[in-house]
Amino acid sequence: MSFLTLGGLLIALLVVAPIAAHLLRRKQAEEQLFPPARLVPPTQPSARKRSMLEDRALFSVRALAVLGLAILGATPFVRCSRLALARNHGASVALAIVLDDSLSMRAKLPGGKSRFERALAGARELAQGLATGDAVAIVLAGAPPRVALGSTTNLAAVTAALDAAEPSDRATDLEGAVQLARGLVHGLVQTDKRVVLLSDLADGAPDAPPIQGDADVALWVPLPELEAHDQDCAVTRAERSGSKVWARVVCSGREPAAPATSASASATPAAKAPVEAARSIEIRAGNKVIGATQLGRSARVEEVAVALPDGAPALLRAVLTGSDAIAEDDEAPVISAGGALPIAVVVDATATRVATGGAPPIEQALTALQLDAQVHPLPSVPEHEAELNAYSALIVDDAPGFTPEVRRELAAWVERGGVVLLTLGPRAAAAPLGAGFEPLIAGVVRWTPIAAAPTGAAGSLGVDPASAPTLGSSAPGLANLDPRGRTALDPVAIEGADVLAKWKDGAPFLLRRSLGRGAVLSLTLPLSTDESDLALRPAFLSLLESFVSTARARGGARRIDVGQAWTFDGYKDVKVRRMPSGGVGAPRIIPVIEQDRRLRADAPLSGLYELTLDGEATTRVAAVPDREIDFRPRQVRDAAHAAAMGGVAPALDASPYVAIALLALLAAELALRARAPREAPIETT
Amino acid sequence: MPPSPATPKSPGAATRAGDLRGGKAGPFPIDWGSLAPLRLKARAVADGVYAGMHRSVRKGAGVEFGGQRPYVPGDDLRFFDRRSLLRHDRLMVREFETETDRALWLCVDATASMAYRSADAPGSKLAYAALVSAALARVTLSTGDPIGLGWVGGHGTHGIPAMAGREAFERVVGALEGAAAAGDVSADAAAIERTLGPIARRARRGSVIVLLSDLLDLPEGALSAFTALATSGRTLIAVQVLDPVEAELGFTGNVRLRAVEGDTVVEADADAVRAVYKERLLALSTPWEKELEARGGRLIRATSADAPVGVVRAILKAVHEARR
Repeated sequence: MSFLTLGGLLIALLVVAPIAAHLLRRKQAEEQLFPPARLVPPTQPSARKRSMLEDRALFSVRALAVLGLAILGATPFVRCSRLALARNHGASVALAIVLDDSLSMRAKLPGGKSRFERALAGARELAQGLATGDAVAIVLAGAPPRVALGSTTNLAAVTAALDAAEPSDRATDLEGAVQLARGLVHGLVQTDKRVVLLSDLADGAPDAPPIQGDADVALWVPLPELEAHDQDCAVTRAERSGSKVWARVVCSGREPAAPATSASASATPAAKAPVEAARSIEIRAGNKVIGATQLGRSARVEEVAVALPDGAPALLRAVLTGSDAIAEDDEAPVISAGGALPIAVVVDATATRVATGGAPPIEQALTALQLDAQVHPLPSVPEHEAELNAYSALIVDDAPGFTPEVRRELAAWVERGGVVLLTLGPRAAAAPLGAGFEPLIAGVVRWTPIAAAPTGAAGSLGVDPASAPTLGSSAPGLANLDPRGRTALDPVAIEGADVLAKWKDGAPFLLRRSLGRGAVLSLTLPLSTDESDLALRPAFLSLLESFVSTARARGGARRIDVGQAWTFDGYKDVKVRRMPSGGVGAPRIIPVIEQDRRLRADAPLSGLYELTLDGEATTRVAAVPDREIDFRPRQVRDAAHAAAMGGVAPALDASPYVAIALLALLAAELALRARAPREAPIETT
Repeated sequence: MPPSPATPKSPGAATRAGDLRGGKAGPFPIDWGSLAPLRLKARAVADGVYAGMHRSVRKGAGVEFGGQRPYVPGDDLRFFDRRSLLRHDRLMVREFETETDRALWLCVDATASMAYRSADAPGSKLAYAALVSAALARVTLSTGDPIGLGWVGGHGTHGIPAMAGREAFERVVGALEGAAAAGDVSADAAAIERTLGPIARRARRGSVIVLLSDLLDLPEGALSAFTALATSGRTLIAVQVLDPVEAELGFTGNVRLRAVEGDTVVEADADAVRAVYKERLLALSTPWEKELEARGGRLIRATSADAPVGVVRAILKAVHEARR
């Protein structure tokens, strides 16, 4: 029998002894015969009750005191199941907590709590363990990554920021979030800098290189139990086309593949993965099911068509039956077909051809980007309002000006929310008489040939990467563009416009000018491969992505991905409400903020949104990106799990807390004794 | 450490009270304790009592002048004091005292509750009542007055008609020694009638009727039935005999008490309820006291721990005062 066993038995005896004494004292009085018993008033209940209460309180206090003493004596053995960081020789630390608020974090853990709740609890536990001198920053990893709290030593601000965090339906961008967090703690005075990643690591890129820290900022993943291993299916979009509803269902498991379409109940799985059997898609009007289709038993990505009855109402929902890890993504509002952004492209195929053949590079690029856009090649710019209204964005490559009728219709279309990209080349500069770009581009457009310079020479003309943040990391690729010419704009064309990129000599390369609710983007280089290889460079893809994003934000698209924002140029009064799913509950007000003189509103949740733009109501949809329904975790370097950084069960010195508790118990006992009536003193047990 | 809540002041009380648990309402043989033997104890008590001759309270025709009183219409004109009329011009009548036989009737309560004895008591309440009765019988017989005996409840009891002489004392003592406490008459209204009926028929004018009882479990109407005997010049004395524990509720702490007669079970904090209990006990006997005094009688309260001599003297004194 070990010392610990003996100690345990002794403690148990100390606890049981008061119980036994209490029970002995509480034994019922022995019955006695007493002839005048009927004259004795029965006062037993109150007396005994009072005595019982007093005894219980005292007993409880003493039993707790015994346990407290035992814990105090066993302090070296006490461990606390609280997430805490281990300090390097007690030094202060700079923490950047990356809290994943993406959709996948809504999945439940075995204990019933969601992953987000566990991650939030872990963040709070870390915050409670902080000491004076520690710096903390908080980054939310839902796409796009956001800074919830900049680096601060104000622990109250940390608590407030954590209290404000809430789950969303966003996709996950771990790479960007970690990068952002690393930047927040970089350069702080603390020598121990860490990025704490509280995530399920399901960012839709399981085969990407592992996430890791660097020499300056270490990466710590303290909660491995958050890693996702659940099965989930989601309705990512649902479109109504004629008498059918096309619904896209994505299930977790394998890598998303090209979707397969199926009509009615004849779904053809694109990939095989374990998915719960016997699930189906139901189209509901309110709570009434007006159509349903059985899903394939092992489909990873599937698009199914559900026939609608005649006279189906406009407001419909596509609901996935059955249950899975996340219930919030099993429903999507049905919107009219055309959810993909319609983009009209006016390009001279002969001028922008590529040696490999096929469609013009811009059409190939839009298709390759998979931006959920429908590309419509047009031979010329539409001249009528009805034709233009069918599109949300327009790309016109080196057009020789527009006739006054076209200019008028085009300007009116832009003012209603359209976005146009005009690339200006030699033909634009040689517009015939009466043709031009007013009011889309003010002034005269001139084409300036450039003498050829040796590649990589210091005098070669290119785009200044520092002036082109819009083009992201691919902007340096345009530094040596070296075109054969470029377009010069009048200064009046630059007034009131945003220069998104500049040539190295300061001339504008890419302009954006707001016109009404829409925008005009002007590129001072044509897409023709004869003039430059711009259309073949990666930065061109970034430019197109920015253009499509702008078109969507300007209200061109009725559906955006969760996490993206709507911008409302030209509107003065904008209200955004997220409608409750199924019509149950109250709408959620989405704050509209002004940023860079533009009103914008984020869509943090998937579902149906009601926008009121200057009193005119319209509906939009935010959809869950397909990649978020991929729960395979991203790889993390083993160093991120090192126990030296801390963990959930470090040995903690609980002596001060236990000692304080004992003092409180002593005070409680003294108070109880003081309250006990003197005529009936409490018997010691 | 204070005493246990269930512990009475006298440990013996529980033991002796436990003897009563043999059966419901008896019979319980008399626990004589230190009061035995009855004969000797009764003689000792009687010897300690002043046993002088007592005078009859009857006034009227006799040989010894008893005083004067104002004339009221209806008085016998033979006793009209004409000298007083002539001398003082007042109408007065003369009274004379006469000696008569004044029988003493003992009515002893032998119900189950009378078997109770606590440790502080020398014997059970019935034993104490028997001792007082025997002593009264001896005093009474010594003056030549007859003695009679009746019972309320009890087992093996038999009444004795009024008789005088040495044999009467032996018969009374024999009857007292042969009795046992038994019965619950609290719900039997006829029980008191069965006891007092023969006494009412046999007791003549001037008789003294002494009831020895704890007055705890007598039936409804017992008081009115007893006080009804006060007619015809009879003197009524009631002696309430209680155990010392009954008189003072001699328990401490929490106690669980069961009545000997009836099904009452009470759990109480004795210290907390003592005052209320004593008030109730007093309220129980107060009607007896008032009713008896209204009819020239007396109520005497005694405990079985009191000296029997004092009780007998008090009874005789009460008789004497009632006859004045």
